[in-house]
Amino acid sequence: MHTCRKILNLYSVLCILSAIAVFPSCRTDEVVYPTIGTHITDEPRQGGLYVLCEGNMGANKARLDYINLESGTYYSNWYGSQNPTQMKELGDVGNDLQQYGNRLYAVINCSHKIEVMDLQARHIAKIDIPNCRYMAFKGGKMYVSAYVGSVATPEMLGSVFEIDTATLSVTREVKVGHQPDELSIVDDKLYVCNSGGYLMNRYDSTLSVIDLNTFTETEKITVGLNPTRIRVDDQKHLWVCCQGNYRKVKPQIVVLDGDEIITRIPTPCANISLLGANAYVLDAENKELKLFSTIDCQLSTVNYQLSTMEHPYGLLATNEALYISDAKNYVSSGVLHCFGYDGTEHWRASTGDIPAHFCRVTKAFELYGDTAAKPATGTSSPYISKVYDYVPAMGQFVNLLPEYKEGDDAAAMCHKCEQAIANNAGGLVCLGGWGGYITFGFDHPVDNKDGFDLRILGNAFLMSGSDTYGSSEPGIVLVSRDDNQNGLPDDTWYELKGALYDDPSTLHTYTKTYTRESDTLRNPFHTQPYFPQWVKEESITFTGARLPSMTESVNGQNVQRILPFGYADNKPNTDSEGTSFDISWAVDADGKSISLPCVDFVRIYTAVDEDNGATGELSTELSGAIDLHPPTD
Amino acid sequence: MTKHILFILLVALCAPSVFALSDAETDSLCSRFQIEEVEVTARALDKDVIVPQTLKGAELQRLNALSVADALRYFSGVQLKDYGGVGGIKTINVRSMGSQHTAVYYNGVQLGNAQNGQVDLGRFSLDNMEEIQLFNGQKSDIFQSAREFGAAGNVYLTTRKPYFKEGERVHVRGQMRFGSFALANPNVGVDVRLTETLSLTMDAEYVYSDGKYPFRYRRVLPSGETAYDTTAVRQNGDVNAVRTELGLHHYYRTTGFWRLHAYNYYSERGVPGAIVNNVWRNGERLWDRNTFAQAQWQDRWFNRWDMRFLFKYANDYTHYQNYDVRLLPSNNEYTQQEFYLSLANKVRLFSWWDVSLAYDYQYNTLDRKNLLTEDVTEHFLRHSHWLSAATAFNIKEYVRAQASVLMTAVQNTHLLFSPSERGAGGVPIPKFTPGLFFSFRPYPKMDLALNAFYKQSYRYPTFNDLYYTDLGNASLRPELARQHSVELAYKTNLPSLSHKAVLHPDGLSSLSVAVSYYYNRVTDKIIAYPKGQQFRWTMLNLGTVKINGVDAKADMSLCLPLRFVLRTRLNYTYQTAIDLTNPADSYYGHQIPYIPWHSGSVVLGLDWQSRRGDHYGLNYSFIYVGERYSQQENTVYNHVQPWYTHDLSLYGEWGVKPVWLKANIEINNLLGQDYEVIQNYPMPKQNIRCTLAVRY
Repeated sequence: MHTCRKILNLYSVLCILSAIAVFPSCRTDEVVYPTIGTHITDEPRQGGLYVLCEGNMGANKARLDYINLESGTYYSNWYGSQNPTQMKELGDVGNDLQQYGNRLYAVINCSHKIEVMDLQARHIAKIDIPNCRYMAFKGGKMYVSAYVGSVATPEMLGSVFEIDTATLSVTREVKVGHQPDELSIVDDKLYVCNSGGYLMNRYDSTLSVIDLNTFTETEKITVGLNPTRIRVDDQKHLWVCCQGNYRKVKPQIVVLDGDEIITRIPTPCANISLLGANAYVLDAENKELKLFSTIDCQLSTVNYQLSTMEHPYGLLATNEALYISDAKNYVSSGVLHCFGYDGTEHWRASTGDIPAHFCRVTKAFELYGDTAAKPATGTSSPYISKVYDYVPAMGQFVNLLPEYKEGDDAAAMCHKCEQAIANNAGGLVCLGGWGGYITFGFDHPVDNKDGFDLRILGNAFLMSGSDTYGSSEPGIVLVSRDDNQNGLPDDTWYELKGALYDDPSTLHTYTKTYTRESDTLRNPFHTQPYFPQWVKEESITFTGARLPSMTESVNGQNVQRILPFGYADNKPNTDSEGTSFDISWAVDADGKSISLPCVDFVRIYTAVDEDNGATGELSTELSGAIDLHPPTD
Repeated sequence: MTKHILFILLVALCAPSVFALSDAETDSLCSRFQIEEVEVTARALDKDVIVPQTLKGAELQRLNALSVADALRYFSGVQLKDYGGVGGIKTINVRSMGSQHTAVYYNGVQLGNAQNGQVDLGRFSLDNMEEIQLFNGQKSDIFQSAREFGAAGNVYLTTRKPYFKEGERVHVRGQMRFGSFALANPNVGVDVRLTETLSLTMDAEYVYSDGKYPFRYRRVLPSGETAYDTTAVRQNGDVNAVRTELGLHHYYRTTGFWRLHAYNYYSERGVPGAIVNNVWRNGERLWDRNTFAQAQWQDRWFNRWDMRFLFKYANDYTHYQNYDVRLLPSNNEYTQQEFYLSLANKVRLFSWWDVSLAYDYQYNTLDRKNLLTEDVTEHFLRHSHWLSAATAFNIKEYVRAQASVLMTAVQNTHLLFSPSERGAGGVPIPKFTPGLFFSFRPYPKMDLALNAFYKQSYRYPTFNDLYYTDLGNASLRPELARQHSVELAYKTNLPSLSHKAVLHPDGLSSLSVAVSYYYNRVTDKIIAYPKGQQFRWTMLNLGTVKINGVDAKADMSLCLPLRFVLRTRLNYTYQTAIDLTNPADSYYGHQIPYIPWHSGSVVLGLDWQSRRGDHYGLNYSFIYVGERYSQQENTVYNHVQPWYTHDLSLYGEWGVKPVWLKANIEINNLLGQDYEVIQNYPMPKQNIRCTLAVRY
């Protein structure tokens, strides 16, 4: 047994030695990828610049970086800090980045989606578009080229999708040529580069021209082999970069006026950026930046130090500077160079893999700087927690729902409203005739996420056997963010754009005054005063939008049209979709779509001014509201 | 039963690691493993100059391993790339030189893939495998085909060989394996003794798995709160594979034999692809057929001239199709053919001096067809010639040395390319690569050796590297690897703690320990590099990697009282593999992708044998792969966490004469770690396999 011990000793020594060696580190929780700020310049400029780094296919390393040009700080992985909860981060292969209205849109090619963000790059929604490539915008619509359509064709044709930026849903689709890349809009025509990039030795060489009204391809213009980029200059001429076949057919830029080719410029053109009457062209092969005049398409040489770059790739010309990125070997971090127009290099910054797409924004953001959203407490309830205002217009249920008692003031009435509809109480509050409103909130801000955010319950119902008629007393929904952080609903209101927003019969500036004096008519069922008794003033004036008359006679019965979407107390509570609202529908006073990452207050007012005699006026009723994705603890 | 035979044949053919057998105990149980028929009078010259890492016989079967790739994880200095699941591609990289520097031999003949140089080791089942050996540098024996001198690392797979006792004519094996992810894996083998010296082996196997395993992605905020936590099921990872093999063996005298071996593998599988944001399923499908037939004839004349003749014909077909509606469809067909001839000679000049000369010739073709565009089929050809000369000698018992030189000439042709675009395809320029091997034993009575080698080897560009559409570069040079290695190895028999029950093949308690240091340099590394124009890549000889590593391994088996045997196997590797391509690169001096600094494994096995010969065993294994980076640049964004799995298996084997029954339960990834070997390719969590086998 002595030898045994010796052996075991030897063995234990070996075990210990190997254990020391074999456990150099253990696995820990995977922490989200950090955002790292690096100071790059002391020369302040206004606003900021987003940099979308493509990342390689399958690597899931698309990265959105942000430069605060005012503080001169480069933030790697900015998107990550704004959206740490996004499953698998931004995605695989970033392919395009643009601002439209108050939103930032990024095409993530191999994640087959368009990421919709606010200007601080906070996630609002994603739009699933298969193999999407590039975007163009016009009139509230986004046009997206995609290598495949919603239905695959044996010819492997691509598609252009039209997306409503208010609802973020696809409205139309048109088939174009092979592997459509960039696209540009001139007046009512959309020009799409059909690259044929996947066909290898049989590249396409056409532009598809799409009439935006009919959304059909009206013609194909042959420009040159393998067109990939198309931009519109200040004279509405199209600059198309044709890459050739990388062998015998050399690359060129084709300039068109509409369907007519003005000139062909033989030059490699990896990227192009138009600014005023200047066209900056990146010749990656010769590592040169060439400047052309858009007036005569003539070359005037520019000498920037590109020869030190490994693979010049992305390009953006702005009023203050030229941004040129170096993609290096494509599988390691790139470098972004900022040049002045005198050719001097102002600064450079290390980026993610394949820095390629840029978006200049006018605002400078600080990391975690915008905290408009109140931190969610541990007891988030999906139901209304507070009623801030209750100002009904005259109506047959006013002073009844909720009931007014002598001595009640506005605050007391708000409290009664809370008892009726807050915390899922399921009671009913009547807003009276046109203009009467209620303002409520939750114990947390309501986030604007993918799809619907909020349900609003009323007492609408459908006529038996009908989907389109019933009892609908539509109320317009407004939302607001507590921008001044005072906890009160005194900030800008945004209307959630409903189905009749663009209807010509909708009046967007309507005013009506109700006076205590005029409160004389009673119907036999409701004999209480119709004017809100707690209001001290003799009259109340409302302003807002008014929808057209809802009531029609169907089979001798007075019923209302049920509107497709976007109004409170319009569809029955059993219709969860019909009673749901998306904060992304918000528009400002000018009707421009606005992106709100979250809202703190919701206001509903009766949107119709309609009295049906015996059954009284149409008045919106509210029986509750639900945040569809309250913060989880 | 087949185990002995194997062992015997092994000794006869390879003669490595047998020297300890002469003093085997004559225990009744030990005799199962004894080698009565073979005289074990190994010459000094036949002892190893390179000590291979070996897994064989029962030890191999005990491991929690389904395929050869799983087993290779237990070798030191080896990095496995595993894309996950039964059907995922599994390749190995020996000492960080790149997977294409490793040659894999199936019963002595190299498996090839002229298209991409990649051998998927996940396709080779362990059920028919008798032995897996890994040689760094090259095989010790200079009696080998010329081509075997050509690779930097060599993996030898040896399938089961028939063995019949006096009076036995037929052996039958049947096995059924079930497991997680709908694994069904039946296997049947028949060995028939046709005449006294001629025998036939047949083996057939079917593997099915739906590949639907759950995986989980979870990240936390720096505060520790969960940022996201999602569990999903891997899709499109199913595999259906049938393997059939046929062998004919004729051992007509002690030194002479011929063998024929035919192999056919057919599979259909999904390629599950990378899990990236918004993509949970990919639609690629792959059909493969690998067929080959090989013949070997070997004999010795005048008791000093050994001659071996090898012939192989292989025909491989791959059909790749992408059904993902979000991607452009693709549908490609590849057919490869290979003819291989080898003649090797070894002459024993004196008892202390051998010389060898070998010549190999190989002809490869690849047809590539795009079924969608119906373009002309592209056709590639390659002629390869290898000529090797080697010598081995010993100085008394103290020193053994080997020197070899290999000439390689490769001629590639693309029938669509014009001669100017074919690059160096016209006249092949012969390349010469030397190898020097040295072993010093200061105390011949002790099994203590200092081994060292220097070797150069080329990795030739594949058809893909040369001619891939718009990416290939026909003027590529071969990639050069230079290896320097020093090893200190010690092996000893330990006094047995029990003189009764001994299960170990060597019949003894034993301990072997080895530590090696290596320094490798890979230059002219073939890498994909972007061309000047956008979206275009090409292959370039651009890259230098310097590799420094230490491998340490210790194997021990202890015969304990009460017929228990404890086996341990420890492996540890530390390596740096530094990119030294260009000081201007942001990743200059960084560790190359997917090479961990630390890796290792521990195997503990406890066996018990009853008096009537039934076996029971419990096997535990632990594999650790340390932190590493997924890209060239070692930044926080490319960091990959360590992974380690605990596997457990329990088995029993019962003799109900004349039949043996065996049952085995394996639990893999016992603690259910969510890990990735390759980024975005999640690996299975805890999973189970059960095997039931009958042998007659």
